Amino acid sequence: MAGIDTGGGHGKGRATNHEIPLIPFIDFLLCLVAFLLVTAVWSQMARINADARVPGPPKPDEEIEKQQKEKQLHVEMRGERKFQLVWKEGSTVVNTIDVERKPVKVGEDTQFPDLAKKIVDEWTANGSHRAPTDTKIDQAVLHCDNSTQFQDVIAVIDAIYKPQRDYTFAGAVKKIPAFNVTFAVN
Amino acid sequence: MSEKALSRFTQPISVPGRRLLHHVPLHFVLKKVTGGGQRAANHEIPLIPFIDFLLCIVLFLLASFSATGELPVDKNVQLPKAENVLDMTEAPMIAITGTQIMVDGVPAGNTRAIEEANRLQRIDELFNILKNKRELWKQINPGKEFPGVAVLQVDKKVPALVVKSVFQTAAFAGYPNISFMVGRLGGEGGG
Repeated sequence: MAGIDTGGGHGKGRATNHEIPLIPFIDFLLCLVAFLLVTAVWSQMARINADARVPGPPKPDEEIEKQQKEKQLHVEMRGERKFQLVWKEGSTVVNTIDVERKPVKVGEDTQFPDLAKKIVDEWTANGSHRAPTDTKIDQAVLHCDNSTQFQDVIAVIDAIYKPQRDYTFAGAVKKIPAFNVTFAVN
Repeated sequence: MSEKALSRFTQPISVPGRRLLHHVPLHFVLKKVTGGGQRAANHEIPLIPFIDFLLCIVLFLLASFSATGELPVDKNVQLPKAENVLDMTEAPMIAITGTQIMVDGVPAGNTRAIEEANRLQRIDELFNILKNKRELWKQINPGKEFPGVAVLQVDKKVPALVVKSVFQTAAFAGYPNISFMVGRLGGEGGG
């Protein structure tokens, strides 16, 4: 076994030569390996956020009239051919952009890179909350047909989360998504 | 230390060397033990590389350790994948598997009625279970603000109508912040 030999050890007092107990150490390491292997998580599950738009004011403590109308990006995925990006202030339409629906297959999944690129461009040009010190986030609302498959809904939400901005919190700068997504159920 | 020096004094400590099986009168055994044969019978187990190897495994497993544990995913559910995602969180899990709706493994309704009616509707069983869960949370955590987060585990082929109905029911039951469970498509991000 491993040991520390100083060459002395003939005098009084404590011995200077020591044996390092390697066998218990190896046993401990093997137990640790076994425990970590049993509890290891190999699946790569994650989540993607969306909040609900339900009847009633979003801030119940404030009156509806007093709430400031902010510019929102509405993403319409109705129909097979195109997406529609609509900037609205309250019910007033500010701008409408059509984006061709070009799905790209990544394995068995779908992505819309053209839509993601357009949303990044739109936020860079028209986003209201771009400063790193701004605590608010721009709002995007997703509308879809009832027959749309769930994987397409996720692909569009993923595209909306593509633009990212700096956010300063407690002196540290980190990247956060530029939009918060609301899933319109009506 | 020379042989002459050793012979002058009575030494309690003998000169290090091979000791095993020295008194065995068989010549060929002695020859092997002392290394005189082709291969020595004594072997050193290389413990230090073995410990290094174990330490590497321990460090790797510790780095990939997840305190939240593995989330149960039904084998029949094929989750969609996304790129701009967040890490999983602890929240009630609403799973839609085939026509069955489950909340944390407990049956909470059926999607058949929604598909047959072809219109958005509240799922009463799901609503009651979620409402009870919210009230229980409030009793356990008095004075704290309820986060209202639920995780939806939905198959990629499920129509949006069913997702909307479950989504709306959850929102009415006090869970407006829904997270969709997805697979990681690669890269980092925060969605």
